[in-house]
Amino acid sequence: MNEIATVLGRAGLLTTEQREHWKMAWLSTVDHKRIGILYMVTALFFFVIGGVEAMFMRVQLAVPNNTLIPPDTYNMLFTMHGTTMIFLVAMPALFGLANYIVPLQIGARDMAFPRLNAFGFWLVPLGGILLHFSFLAGGGPAVGWFAYAPLNETPYSSQLGVDYWALALLVLGIGSVSVSINFIVTVLTQRAPHMTLRRLPLFSWMIFINSFLVILALPVLNAGLVMLLIDRRLDTHFFLQPGGSAIMWQNIFWAFGHPEVYIVAIPAFGILSEVIPVFSRKPIFGYEFVAGSTVAIAFLSLLVWAHHMFTVGLGHAVDLFFVASSLLIAIPTGVKVLAWSATMVGGRIRLNTPMLFCVAALVQFLFAGLTGISHAVAALDWQTKNSYYLVAHFHFVFVGLIVFAILGALHYWFPKMSGRMLSERLGKWTFWLMLIGFNLTFIIQHFLGLAGMPRRIYTYPDLPGWGWMNMVSTSGAFFMAAAALVFVWNLAASLLHGKPAGDNPWNAWTLEWATTSPPPHENFHELPPIRSRRPLWDDSNPDRPDPIVGTKWQAETTSPEKNKTAVITFIISESGFFGVLILAYLFYNATPQPGPGAHNLNLLKTGMFSLCLFASSFTIWRSEASLQRGKPRAMVGWLAATILLGGIFIIGQGLEYRGLFQSGVGVSSNLFATTFFTLTGFHGLHVCVGLIALLIVLGLALAGDFKQRHSHALKAVGLYWHFVDAVWVLVFSAVYLLPHLR
Amino acid sequence: MTTAQFILSGWTWNPVVLLTGACALVIYLAAFRDRRRIGWFTAALAVFLLTLLSPLNTLADGYLFSAHMAQHILLLLIVPALLLFSLPRTISLAVGPRVFSYPLFGWLAGTGAMWFWHAPAMCNAAVASRPVHALQTVSLVVLGSLFWRQILAPRDEERLSPPRAIFYLFSACVACSVLGIIITFSPVTVCSIYTMPMTDRLGLLHIIRTGWGFSPERDQQIGGLLMWVPMCLIYLTAILAQLARWFAQETGPATESI
Repeated sequence: MNEIATVLGRAGLLTTEQREHWKMAWLSTVDHKRIGILYMVTALFFFVIGGVEAMFMRVQLAVPNNTLIPPDTYNMLFTMHGTTMIFLVAMPALFGLANYIVPLQIGARDMAFPRLNAFGFWLVPLGGILLHFSFLAGGGPAVGWFAYAPLNETPYSSQLGVDYWALALLVLGIGSVSVSINFIVTVLTQRAPHMTLRRLPLFSWMIFINSFLVILALPVLNAGLVMLLIDRRLDTHFFLQPGGSAIMWQNIFWAFGHPEVYIVAIPAFGILSEVIPVFSRKPIFGYEFVAGSTVAIAFLSLLVWAHHMFTVGLGHAVDLFFVASSLLIAIPTGVKVLAWSATMVGGRIRLNTPMLFCVAALVQFLFAGLTGISHAVAALDWQTKNSYYLVAHFHFVFVGLIVFAILGALHYWFPKMSGRMLSERLGKWTFWLMLIGFNLTFIIQHFLGLAGMPRRIYTYPDLPGWGWMNMVSTSGAFFMAAAALVFVWNLAASLLHGKPAGDNPWNAWTLEWATTSPPPHENFHELPPIRSRRPLWDDSNPDRPDPIVGTKWQAETTSPEKNKTAVITFIISESGFFGVLILAYLFYNATPQPGPGAHNLNLLKTGMFSLCLFASSFTIWRSEASLQRGKPRAMVGWLAATILLGGIFIIGQGLEYRGLFQSGVGVSSNLFATTFFTLTGFHGLHVCVGLIALLIVLGLALAGDFKQRHSHALKAVGLYWHFVDAVWVLVFSAVYLLPHLR
Repeated sequence: MTTAQFILSGWTWNPVVLLTGACALVIYLAAFRDRRRIGWFTAALAVFLLTLLSPLNTLADGYLFSAHMAQHILLLLIVPALLLFSLPRTISLAVGPRVFSYPLFGWLAGTGAMWFWHAPAMCNAAVASRPVHALQTVSLVVLGSLFWRQILAPRDEERLSPPRAIFYLFSACVACSVLGIIITFSPVTVCSIYTMPMTDRLGLLHIIRTGWGFSPERDQQIGGLLMWVPMCLIYLTAILAQLARWFAQETGPATESI
């Protein structure tokens, strides 16, 4: 084992003191750089698994009427391949890169919440294990990565695969939200002095914007997964007849699924925006447009999910609106492509490996965008949906853009992370193998799709053209596998024997290159002055610095308090979760249904208990005020009153549940009961979490460990408590009051 | 009646609306010596009059929920924005109660107007009763102005800073989208008065239902979609304008010391 420590030490991954306990130095780390590397190594591990799954599928499809893989196994393979590549490869790899790079680019010591950061990372292996554990529990999920209802329901998928799939995605979703909250708070509160938001390097800016997309979109999926699990485990009918709606699952899934495409694409845009200028020796063309179009893309991506559902039959009116809004996305993405191309025009281009990957990503993304337009137009979409044309399209996005960009980023930042250069010769081999392999595999799939080959079939008859086209596609996959092997070999060999990199091997301009490679634990000993977007350029070219970017807005020079920012961000994310549950409640209860309904509820009693909860918002506010005025005893009193009132509310809810159970109303009685228990149950859970947080604060206060300067902790808990109350206002109105207005 | 005939004859010469427009013009001319921005005012007036006098108003008056929604958006988002543009840049809006200047108040005014007037009871009442309809029209313009003043106040210092403004606009978009989504996918009728025009006084129902293909369900869907998609695009346009304002600030050599 000591050899491992020695090797890691030689690779710059351990300090001398840590060699004794090298395992713990990594497993218990809260350093953003190590967590970033752990993320990326995990992603690489799952990339190999997902890649092997893809190879099995391509081999099966190489010739017509192949019998290598039985249909059920094939279904599991494409489900696991898609889920793995998106949730366990693309997202962790990009979170890992961002974890490593963003704090460095903004001149911070670490992420805002290092332990939350470690928590977010460790959920990735947990999610991965849960997902793959399904194979030991009777068979993997075989429903496709979007697991359409009703196939995802017990009558059609009775084994545990879908349950583990949903649990895994839930865990991974929580991890993604936590790391994104961390990114937002880090960028807002941990920037070095003078690193204003308008001076952010584009990669950090895009991670910042992207994190909002994550905290808005992932909770929507989480709400859907929760409903699915309740359906499967508690025998209810959210997405299943009688009463339930399979379309509801599609809406929920794509309300998450479309932003998800951009959640993995926007960081890739960020990578291109860093690498292309450095290797063209020019500042990015139109920084403002690249930054601004990111906001437009994020905004539009939340608005257009229904274009995934043109073939469902939502009606011409719906289709028309979503054709128009989907086509609009072409404008901001076009702006980006133009800006990157214009950056290269007239530049002194250096075609090192990172640049090669990024230029290829740019061109391939352009193709992906063009085939994307044909999916945005409903009439064309009807012809190509669920054919290999679609498969080719999204692989051009996910591999052509995102994997190429990630590979570019790894070649670009590896010297910073390890202190050693990757071999340029092996890097070029990786690139050319990957380029040939990727295009060989996927270009021809467009034609296969147009020739009528549907996706997700385990084999096919020997139709004219299908055989040889599939063979070409499969042969391309082997080139990509070879590229992956060369890349891993390059990583390992360069870690041990690579050329020393120095601080700034690419002559880049952003702050991560202003420190040593690898950076010391505290990241920077000293920062250069920051007054533009390229501080290191200014530093080395004092006679012709970049124009100063001003600091007109007060919000740019001051940082908000980090706990408060984190709780507000968390509340935004929770609003998405509750929003879906409330909408589902309204949708399923729009018309009264046979069986239990709102008439089984006691408006008066619950109204009284609700008053207690609303009053607790007042008491916690008094508690904060008392702390601010330096009256610790009054603060404890008001805090205790808050806990008491919250406790009474929970007891009241418990009594109501007991009454319902006694009169024979259970969660699976009908859709009213299901949505009622789901919505109020999750709210009750949040009240309980709030109570635990309040009890911790109370305990600290009673132990005398709570000073005025800790007021932000109480404020943060107080904000969360107000949010829980506000949600109850909505839930109470929707569940108890609305039926009486009819 | 054919579509062409309807477009020619569907105009309502509502004297109250015309008088309101004339009064507004007189007030504008009397109040402001500086007439450089009168173009914006003319545009506001034109949109206002077109919304309330054109065939759109005839359709919204008991025939089509989606036409009502288009009116709603024009009155809440377009007319007030143009009015604020028309004010000379020196005017301060820091008048009236302090609460008017709170961002949360403006936000609630803009989104609350949407939710309040689409509660089924209010929506039906606004079509059935003239006074309620007048109140609705006035409230939309007033609430819309309160919403937009956070973004479009003539003086820069009375506007939200761009990052806050973007958050303000984005959350308003979400609040309206949620309602739009509810209306689009709701299995129940939001504004039942439109599904049974009490008297087809203009003989339009045939051309609307069969000529244009607006079944009551599709009509409600389009109404919801108008609120969901185009309305959000208006907010998006405002967000892009905020980004332009943010990035346009003195990026050249500045006097500040760092």
